[in-house]
Amino acid sequence: MRFMIMVKSSGDGQNCAAQDEQFLDRMRKFNDELVKAGALLALEGLHPSAKGARVRLSAGKPTVFDGPFPEAKELIGGYWLWQMKSKEEAIEWVKRCPFPPQGEIEIEIREVLDVEEFGARMAPSMYGRAQPALVDD
Amino acid sequence: MRFMIIVRATQESEAGAPPNERLLEDMMKFNEELVQAGIMLAGEGLHPSSNGARVRFSGKSRSVIDGPFAETKELIAGFWMWQVKSREEAIEWVKRCPNPFESECEIEIRQVFEAPELTDNADIVRKEAELRAKSAQLSDRGAR
Repeated sequence: MRFMIMVKSSGDGQNCAAQDEQFLDRMRKFNDELVKAGALLALEGLHPSAKGARVRLSAGKPTVFDGPFPEAKELIGGYWLWQMKSKEEAIEWVKRCPFPPQGEIEIEIREVLDVEEFGARMAPSMYGRAQPALVDD
Repeated sequence: MRFMIIVRATQESEAGAPPNERLLEDMMKFNEELVQAGIMLAGEGLHPSSNGARVRFSGKSRSVIDGPFAETKELIAGFWMWQVKSREEAIEWVKRCPNPFESECEIEIRQVFEAPELTDNADIVRKEAELRAKSAQLSDRGAR
């Protein structure tokens, strides 16, 4: 089963850019364990919502709203995609995430739809993918 | 630049209702255009929050709360990962997205961090790249 593990927190973008090298190192070790377990499918951190936007799709023309978005509880700071045997296994791994003891963090666990459930024609993975560009300085 | 394109949840998505035929057709065409344009990196739909959970960290304690979660505004229904030249290009593509729902829906656009943006430490940047390569392999192995 695949799960999306979303890091939400009390502060927009705090879990990524503000963190020091010690934290990145602890996270990398945690991520290495996930790789060894054959569980880590993807991981990403998001820039704060101040740089983001929302587009409202309704009956008329789409409307664009620029960030930041004030409701911290609505915002994702980053996410993983994990391959796990069960939701319970995902929960156990989440409890071990090496977030620093100060601050309140909430992590949401949601099961990802399989292609069969999504409908083969909806799933972008059915159409192949572009290759991510290499980042150059 | 990479952007996470987040489809925010609605009462429809939380009810787990399957999309209608017209929507499936429109979405398929849109996804094909994204692939043709070299933009589509990934896309996933999520089960409703009724079978999800949240883990709250407070100091050393961990508490688990089972879904469903009542505040639909806090939830997402799915996402894409896109590669585009700019935030503006991402917005223009989102404006063309067929509405996945019968009701109004909001799609959030958030830029994704690349490792060099987080640290100057070349060792960490290299290790992050290795990590991503390994996770992409695991992901492709499982891809249908």
